[in-house]
Amino acid sequence: MMPPQLKIAALVSVGRNPASGAPRAARNDVLALDAALGLAREVSVLHAGDAAPALHDYLAYGAASVEVLPLPPGADALAPLAGRVAGYDLILCGQRAEAGQGSGMLAYRLAKALNMPVVSAALEISLLGDEVEIVQFLPKGQRRVVRVSLPAVIALHPLAPRNPRYVYASRRAGRLLSAPAQVGAPLPASPWQSEPAVKKPQKLKPPETRQGHARLLGAIATESKGGALVREGSAAEKARAILDYLRANRLIGF
Amino acid sequence: MNQERKRLDPRRPFLLNPAGLRRIILGATGGFDASLLAAPAHKPAAKPLRLHGDPAGYLLAAAHSQRGMLDAHAHQAIAAAALLATPQQAVAVLVFGSLNEDLRAYGADLVAVLPGADELGFAPEQELAWLDEFVTRYAPAHVFMPDNETGDGDLGRRLAVQLEAEVATHVVELKPGAVAMYWQGGAALARGPMPLVVLIAPDVVETSLPFSGAGETVAPPAAQAPPGPYQNRGLREIAASALALEEADFIVAAGNGVADIPTLEAVAAAFGAAVGASRVAVDEGKFTRDKQIGATGKTVSASTYLAVGISGAVQHLQGIKACRHVIAINCDASAPITKRADLSIVGDAQEVMTALLAGLAQRNWPDTARESV
Ligand SMILES: Cc1cc2nc3c(=O)[nH]c(=O)nc-3n(C[C@H](O)[C@H](O)[C@H](O)COP(=O)(O)OP(=O)(O)OC[C@H]3O[C@@H](n4cnc5c(N)ncnc54)[C@H](O)[C@@H]3O)c2cc1C
Repeated sequence: MMPPQLKIAALVSVGRNPASGAPRAARNDVLALDAALGLAREVSVLHAGDAAPALHDYLAYGAASVEVLPLPPGADALAPLAGRVAGYDLILCGQRAEAGQGSGMLAYRLAKALNMPVVSAALEISLLGDEVEIVQFLPKGQRRVVRVSLPAVIALHPLAPRNPRYVYASRRAGRLLSAPAQVGAPLPASPWQSEPAVKKPQKLKPPETRQGHARLLGAIATESKGGALVREGSAAEKARAILDYLRANRLIGF
Repeated sequence: MNQERKRLDPRRPFLLNPAGLRRIILGATGGFDASLLAAPAHKPAAKPLRLHGDPAGYLLAAAHSQRGMLDAHAHQAIAAAALLATPQQAVAVLVFGSLNEDLRAYGADLVAVLPGADELGFAPEQELAWLDEFVTRYAPAHVFMPDNETGDGDLGRRLAVQLEAEVATHVVELKPGAVAMYWQGGAALARGPMPLVVLIAPDVVETSLPFSGAGETVAPPAAQAPPGPYQNRGLREIAASALALEEADFIVAAGNGVADIPTLEAVAAAFGAAVGASRVAVDEGKFTRDKQIGATGKTVSASTYLAVGISGAVQHLQGIKACRHVIAINCDASAPITKRADLSIVGDAQEVMTALLAGLAQRNWPDTARESV
């Protein structure tokens, strides 16, 4: 099995119920926590920010305790997190946060700060000595297997096939631990202005310069191209035409 | 009352102007001149070039191709660059993987292709080195990439981190100099200045442009990354038949013209494809409801859609809008599906399917198809 000294951390955030907006454990972070617990008995569960009540959910999902790294408002979570997990072998997090910006950048920035490789869209993780093998999600039913050397940062895909269990007794048994306050580097004033998302975003379009008649023609014209038509020949030749088309476009592998 | 009424001759000579409008030739009389009508009314005029003269700056777009083509999302990233470029800025495009399509329609002025990049491989450090070199070469004001799960979203984030540049991800609105994206899981819309790296969400850019790019081929970047900590161990493909129709990449669909379902299922199995059906086939009880494709069924996005004995009613075509390659087998050459299909086989479904099975069983044709993946 794995060497006992492997240090694994799971980074968790406060999520947001998409329907009610109520704070909760973030789904992707629960997956990261569950994956970490599947790899090691001892996992450091870390949260940068306030000791929000929603963090107790992670205790119910199996964290023995959640360590809260206090963060002054408006400060960047990167520096305290990077300082805390330096020296860890494996750092797991969710691919995209539910609250806040949800840009999916944290894993990449953290990996850069710690000079570690980063792999995202992880579905399954297994340890192989000083390497870790990851099954990555790709669309259209494909999965990719990659290996990276430890230490590494891995972000879990929302479709990771894990089945975290919520246990109320562990929620009562676990504790939130507050680390001593750190002076995180304050972020430069944010150029982003957020507003409630009521209006639909506008699609980027070329300016309309055509006159009415041309616009009408454009609106009724169908873009159907109508491809090649094979009428003649035996059934075998027609079947051959299909296979040739598939092979010419590399749609079949044989 | 025998007064002669002055009438307009409905067949007065006329000309068609370039916009397709009928213009009467004033003063001319006489009958209809057929030679004037014979002139092609709507010759698709070549679109004007967007960029004239030497560029004074660049915008970049980069994306992975699959099987020699970029997907709609990647086209949108290129079109975004073309639409946001100033008249002096050129659009340079870097394609990871081979490319057999023309990107001028999407406004690409310079195109560099890296056929050596493995389409579904995983070599983030090598790809980052190439992209980094390309960015250094053109010093673009912005880099546009599709925020997808096939490698571009990952590579864009790596680029932003490497360059320590500002980045906007999942961008849903683009305006000159400004972007917007959702925060708080979609409850808030954040607006800000356009950063260097812009990763756009799907369907936020119109790709039918009134202009064309120059489409000049330029040398791809040649940087070589040293061996790093990543190892690609290949793909694991899940059989299409085990997938939900929405996720399948190859679908064989049956319509009213298919009588023999086992043969169709055998064809699907031979291709490793999922099975779909039209509403008529489902209503007849040949397939379960979850196989129905179309307006009241499922919307699919397979690369390959083989429609057997399907007429191609609009309600059905609605479900296959996103399919890249549509092949139809139908005994009626004028069925609407032939207008949508890239290849239409006119013939009896049963015969062609049987011949396909025979051909697939032989597999003795020269193997020039893709070797890997
Ligand atoms: C509100 C509404 C919603 C609908 N939603 C859907 C939907 O979601 N999905 C859907 O599919 N339909 C839908 N429909 C139905 C749709 O309009 C068509 O009726 C249906 O798609 C036709 O199915 P088909 O092509 O299989 O059958 P047909 O229209 O009967 O076409 C059969 C085709 O097979 C060909 N053919 C026949 N025999 C052979 C042979 N031996 N060999 C080769 N070819 C042969 C014929 O030439 C014909 O083109 C909807 C209709 C309505 C009104």
